Amino acid sequence: MTNGTSTETIPVGPTPAADERRLDAVRVAQNYGIYAVLVVIVIVATIVYSGFLSPDNIKLVLSQNAPLGIVAVGMTLVIIGGGFDLSVGAIFAVSGTAAAMIATHHGAAEGFVVGVALGLVCGLINAIVITRFRVNPFVATLGSSSLFSGVIMLISNSNPFFVEKTSFTWLGQTKLLGVQLPTILLGIVFLLGWLVLNRSVYGRRVLAVGGNPEASRLAGVRTDLVQGGTYVISGLLAAFAGAISASQLSVGQGTAGGTMALQSIAVVVIGGTSLLGGEGSMTRTAVGLLILATLDNIFFSLAVDTNWQLISQGIIVIGAVALDQLFRRMRTK
Amino acid sequence: MVPEATVADRETAVRCTAVSRSFGHTKAVVDVDLSVRRGEIHALVGANGAGKSTLLGMLSGRIAPSDGDLQIFGRKLQGGRPRESRAASIAIVYQELTIVPLLSAAANVFLGEELGHGGAIEERRMQRRFAELCREFEVEIDGTTVAGELTVATQQLLEIMRAVQRQTKLLLLDEPTASLSHRERDFLLGLMRRLRDDGVTIIFVSHNLDEVIAVSDTVTVMRNARKIETAPVGRWTKSDLVEAMTGEAPARVSRERRAPRGEVVLEASDVSLPGALVDISLDVRAGEVLGLAGLVGSGRTSLLRSLAGLEPASSGTLKIRGKDRPWPRSPRQALRKLDIALLPEDRKGQGLVLGMSVPDNVTMTDLGTVSRGGLVNDRAQLAKARALMEPFRLNRKVDRYPVSELSGGGQQKVVLAKYLNQNPSVMLVDEPTRGIDVAAKVEVLNAVREFAQRGKAVILTSSEIEEVLDVSDRILVIVAGRVGGEFEMDSESPGVRDVLDLAFELDDPTAPVTSRSAEES
Ligand SMILES: Nc1ncnc2c1ncn2[C@@H]1O[C@H](COP(=O)(O)OP(=O)(O)OP(=O)(O)O)[C@@H](O)[C@H]1O
Ligand SMILES: [Mg+2]
Repeated sequence: MTNGTSTETIPVGPTPAADERRLDAVRVAQNYGIYAVLVVIVIVATIVYSGFLSPDNIKLVLSQNAPLGIVAVGMTLVIIGGGFDLSVGAIFAVSGTAAAMIATHHGAAEGFVVGVALGLVCGLINAIVITRFRVNPFVATLGSSSLFSGVIMLISNSNPFFVEKTSFTWLGQTKLLGVQLPTILLGIVFLLGWLVLNRSVYGRRVLAVGGNPEASRLAGVRTDLVQGGTYVISGLLAAFAGAISASQLSVGQGTAGGTMALQSIAVVVIGGTSLLGGEGSMTRTAVGLLILATLDNIFFSLAVDTNWQLISQGIIVIGAVALDQLFRRMRTK
Repeated sequence: MVPEATVADRETAVRCTAVSRSFGHTKAVVDVDLSVRRGEIHALVGANGAGKSTLLGMLSGRIAPSDGDLQIFGRKLQGGRPRESRAASIAIVYQELTIVPLLSAAANVFLGEELGHGGAIEERRMQRRFAELCREFEVEIDGTTVAGELTVATQQLLEIMRAVQRQTKLLLLDEPTASLSHRERDFLLGLMRRLRDDGVTIIFVSHNLDEVIAVSDTVTVMRNARKIETAPVGRWTKSDLVEAMTGEAPARVSRERRAPRGEVVLEASDVSLPGALVDISLDVRAGEVLGLAGLVGSGRTSLLRSLAGLEPASSGTLKIRGKDRPWPRSPRQALRKLDIALLPEDRKGQGLVLGMSVPDNVTMTDLGTVSRGGLVNDRAQLAKARALMEPFRLNRKVDRYPVSELSGGGQQKVVLAKYLNQNPSVMLVDEPTRGIDVAAKVEVLNAVREFAQRGKAVILTSSEIEEVLDVSDRILVIVAGRVGGEFEMDSESPGVRDVLDLAFELDDPTAPVTSRSAEES
């Protein structure tokens, strides 16, 4: 019994030292491999695009990807809680369009408030359908996604709403101390997401419910409220991101956010959060976001066919999950 | 044994009146009246499927009663809601583990009742409290370890900690000792007594009747979903209990043994595993059951796992029917190339597809024998499953219901039948009777012996030494990863004491018996 069972005084089938070392190596690879991938991609980026690391470029990349990142924070919570949210793109569009529509006739502030409030309502609808009526989250949000999209297209007559007033564009286009406001907001949302997941009772319960719903229920956890809460948060953040994006682009339209669901899921998955739930982290999602954003920037600077970007993104998503599965198998033998 | 002070307290903690519960056509609990006094340890015993877990489940809110009335400390319990039972200060340790494998050990203990302040979790306070609990339990568990990486026994301790750390007035324990070692078991029994003396009422389910008699104040026997009798523990003997549980006199495995004459099927020498096993040599013959006895942690499980290819770090030399074969490096290799199968100690999840029916599970590995042209013949499959389950006295007729509907012990029986049906030439069996009632235990052990008599080699281990003595033709006592002694059951008749003496190295340590193969060659 040299080191094997470090955790117990009662040695029940000790793990031999060599095995332990191998497991440690796998664990390190699983935990930090994603950072290595980020470093490699950044190096590639600086080689193919000399301006990549310039402060202006970095700021630009971050602010362009802020809406995606904010959506991904909500998606991380949903996925850790054992769910799935395909409706974030539609909610994103609902909020941006509503904000822009209202801003053209009334004040921009009212527009943002209504947009975000609508996101809350959409999230609540998802939560009720999934936890009350027990509809599979995949199906529920696929359905609600087309429901939300259809409604906003009807209301907006499928028109884009251009808003040039500064009261509308400040949210996406002002700078604070030289940094774009969306980037700062992204930072704040990530920080809050991290706090919720790692430092709050609620976050702990999201992890528990995602990891073993029956055990959590038997322990007296209100699993429906916990899981439902993740959809509400996700809806809220998607709507917030939609408002920021509309303000950045000075336009709100029902077709916005078409790829938001898949991209945000890609960000979460590349970071290594398991689609099975119960496991994952905000920092990983942040790294996933940086990887996708860097890739995006590389292809943008190369000015090649954007289809290549799709292809490489696909490969990275599948590769990340396959690697993660491999490590998992190695850990459990 | 029974403290007068607590018995004098006549207050009733639990009163069940005409409580029933059925699942479809299965009547799990019928018309049970039960009253449990405040501050007593009340044992609930009965054969597999008698309805014990269902009764506890109704008190814990996991299962709603179909009929009848539940009262806890004078207050009516609606039933079917875990939170309601929690609010009534009821805590339970379920028969199946309810661990969240990806959360830390400490987080599991405080699941649902996280220590926090204004919604923020107080991780340090939880770790401190967890460390206190560990000290109280006299174990050392790192609170930050992910629970899924701990042994089954440790996970079981976490569940017990979870139940105990809460302000609990009624504690329900469903076979809490099944996966614990002797030391942990003794600790738990001591803890139960201490809690009782502090006024906690405990209902305790166990198939270990010695334990039941040692710790409880009152025993209730259930059979076929009904309560048979409740009486103070002093009025029961072990064989009374068995008789009340099964309706028949207790059976035993015959200990008559002839020296096995078959060829040596498996011969392993110098088996080593860093940190667990040191140069163990052993052999088994066709038709022989080799028992491994030893304390928990002595390396019995590691030895079986090494032979089954589950310990890649293990080493040794292997001969199968006299021929040199490569040392197994993966379970696949062990099974396909060497025909060695292991029935592992932690069977839950590994052995069964819970949503699938009993026949589907039992015949999973040899569907070919019950199908024609790629189509499964339902009737042949069912007939085969019934034949295979026959020796195990399942309380329900084998049919196309999902395995999840069986009681804990019932599921174990299905796993056993499935593994025996795999029909390997070397069968390794770890803890075959965990969760199985006393009467069925005998049947299980007989089934293992019959399996060997078909010309198979069996290596079996159990933490219950009595059981190893009952079933084996030959016994190796494993002491700290080495062979500490050997008994030939056809010529010797050692008792539990003799085995324990060896296991604790109380015997003359200068003359360790090496393996028999060494003497023969
Ligand atoms: N969810 C369910 N669906 C259908 N039948 C069930 C279900 N749960 C239990 N049963 C049946 O109810 C009966 C009683 O089961 P229970 O689990 O209470 O037995 P037990 O006394 O705890 O047995 P064991 O000692 O094996 O744990 C069994 O026949 C079982 O098959
Ligand atoms: Mg049971």
